[in-house]
Amino acid sequence: MLNNVTLLCFFASYLCALALETTRLWVKSGVIRWAAIGFAAAGFVAHMAYLFARAGATDLPPLLSSTHDWLLVLAFLAVVMYLFVSVLDRSLGFGLFLLPVVVLLVAASRFVDQATNARLSAERGWGMLHASMWVLGAAGVVAGLVLSVMYLVQHRRLRQKRLLQDGLELPSLERLSRLNWWAIVISVPLLTLGMATGVGLSLVEDPAGETVRLTEPNILISVLSWVAMMALFVWLLVARRTPGKLVAWRTVWAFGFLLLTLIVLEVFSQGGVHGVTRRQGSGIRDQGSGKSGQDSVHRIPHSAFRIPPSYFA
Amino acid sequence: MNVQVVYCNHQTADLSVREKLAFASEDDLLRAYDVLRERFPASEHVVISTCNRVELYTAQEEPGEAPSTQELATFFSEFHRLPVETFLGDLLERTGMEAVRHLFEVACSIDSMVLGESQIVSQVKTAYETAAKGNANGPLTNALFQRALTVSRRVRTETRLSEGRISIASVAVGEFGRSIFDRFNDKTVLVIGAGEMAEETLRYLQTEGVGQIVVVNRTSENSQRLADQFGGESRAWDELDGALARADVVISTTGADRPIVDAARFRRIRKTGPGSPVFILDLGAPRDFAPDVAEVDEGVFLYDIDDLERTCERNRAARTTEIARARAIVEEETARFMHDIYHKATGPIVQRLREQWHDVSRQELEILFRKLPDLSADDQQAIGRSVERIVNKLLHPPLETLRDEARKGTPHGLIDAVKRLFHLH
Repeated sequence: MLNNVTLLCFFASYLCALALETTRLWVKSGVIRWAAIGFAAAGFVAHMAYLFARAGATDLPPLLSSTHDWLLVLAFLAVVMYLFVSVLDRSLGFGLFLLPVVVLLVAASRFVDQATNARLSAERGWGMLHASMWVLGAAGVVAGLVLSVMYLVQHRRLRQKRLLQDGLELPSLERLSRLNWWAIVISVPLLTLGMATGVGLSLVEDPAGETVRLTEPNILISVLSWVAMMALFVWLLVARRTPGKLVAWRTVWAFGFLLLTLIVLEVFSQGGVHGVTRRQGSGIRDQGSGKSGQDSVHRIPHSAFRIPPSYFA
Repeated sequence: MNVQVVYCNHQTADLSVREKLAFASEDDLLRAYDVLRERFPASEHVVISTCNRVELYTAQEEPGEAPSTQELATFFSEFHRLPVETFLGDLLERTGMEAVRHLFEVACSIDSMVLGESQIVSQVKTAYETAAKGNANGPLTNALFQRALTVSRRVRTETRLSEGRISIASVAVGEFGRSIFDRFNDKTVLVIGAGEMAEETLRYLQTEGVGQIVVVNRTSENSQRLADQFGGESRAWDELDGALARADVVISTTGADRPIVDAARFRRIRKTGPGSPVFILDLGAPRDFAPDVAEVDEGVFLYDIDDLERTCERNRAARTTEIARARAIVEEETARFMHDIYHKATGPIVQRLREQWHDVSRQELEILFRKLPDLSADDQQAIGRSVERIVNKLLHPPLETLRDEARKGTPHGLIDAVKRLFHLH
């Protein structure tokens, strides 16, 4: 039965969980909390089954498969975070901040390339290192972003002397600040390592005989967001005074920029940060053309996962 | 069962009266129970004695054995060596269902000075345990007080009567302080002035495990006294700026007639410190910190007495809206308790009456069937069912009346009448 799982299944589950979490702002009920957790858990199971099915079909781990799978792994990690925190703390309004990111990632995954990346699968060891560093770093980015937004909401409440709102209980500024610091300090090195291995991989000639040009706009934008994060990282480590609100704002800007860049580039550009792959694989998009892209990229037929093309129409 | 309560509380009597009638210690209460047992041996007793109320509950199987209000007032008078006329006008009495409802309202803190406060539950529980220790309770008060604690739990679970903090100190620390800091045991608390509010807030912070306490006051004796009381250190008034720069939490209650810290001064002070978040509770009236101190930087969280009082008021108002729901639960539980109790009282009579009448009908049927041996088994069964229906129909009115009366209280008179009329012994 789990082989019939579609993207819509867990997208809808996460959307329901988000709606229920939002309801908790007005209605205080343990039933609603558990219903939200239940929907998220159901989505989590479907999500896992979907990733397994994809991995089985491509004979590749999701991280090495395609941008589509990679985004879903990131969303999967975010859901694990949500479930863990929500089960442990019944009053925390964590879902309101994290679930929108999950929904965004799952929705974005629908519009990005589902073709396998030949370069990553060819250099399997390095590819795995590159993709896992990126996904773990990106999970840290998501955590940092969510924590920073929570910090700003809590800070605003305290400055405006407003009461705690039911369903929107947040950790103290001190704790949010500490967790955010760790999110930055852990994710930036991981992303740097991911980026370095990515650059290394791109310098290696790919199976189709073409190499990535480092002057590609997509690569440049990615480098720019990395520089912004690195600046945040260094500032955080060396600055004598790091007011919490400033840290939160800078994190939101740097991490938000990185996350948006990552998603927007993948959705709207030709292959995002792996643009050359898509460029090579442009013939794959054009299945009828019968061009030689099939040597470098293996297209996975939609029907293998029963994803109707009009899911998000 | 017969229950009554004689009481005075914060609504009916001044503190001067309540404190005279109160039982200050457990020993006092145990002595009181000895006296009560001796004077009213057929009664069970439980006394709830707190700063807001003195209530004496008594319960007996028979109503004739209940002590009168006058007798209980005499007990109070003799025990506390007070003339009866000094407090008699402040004493109220409730009996039966009213007394049960009153106890349930007390246990749910509907009747408390601070609506929804949680302390009363443990006070009711302690009162009941002390009565047990003094051998003053019994099956009736056991049932009553156990049900009161159950009702209290139900009200707390099903309503929001106890939600939201309503004292300045608890709002300051619980609603705001804990949202700024994760813990207080590594924080420095600076107390400016040595007012009562500072003391109360410090007491609250102490339960949170506050780290270092520094007290600065114009009068060094007062600051030393407060510092000694809470294990802190006292500093001279001219060290205030240095102490402010290092403090994480500032509690100010100086009673000065104008702000002692303005934005310019505080900005200078902040520059000399680590710039970490500072939580300032300005409990002075007039204020000790100028309002624009809050704008010095984003790490300053300044709350004055009005901000905190507004929060308390909102929480109080939120609790008030829950009173109706709490009362509905109390009403339902009171009716259920009374029903359970009266059912216990009338149950045996009803059962004996039914058994007696059915025994008579069975005996008569046996005689009839012996006289008419030609009757088939089906005919015998049909006659048997008819007679049973007749008996039930004849029994229905008196039993219905008994049940109706039982809803208002144990119908001792009616029970006696039924016993005598039908020779039920």
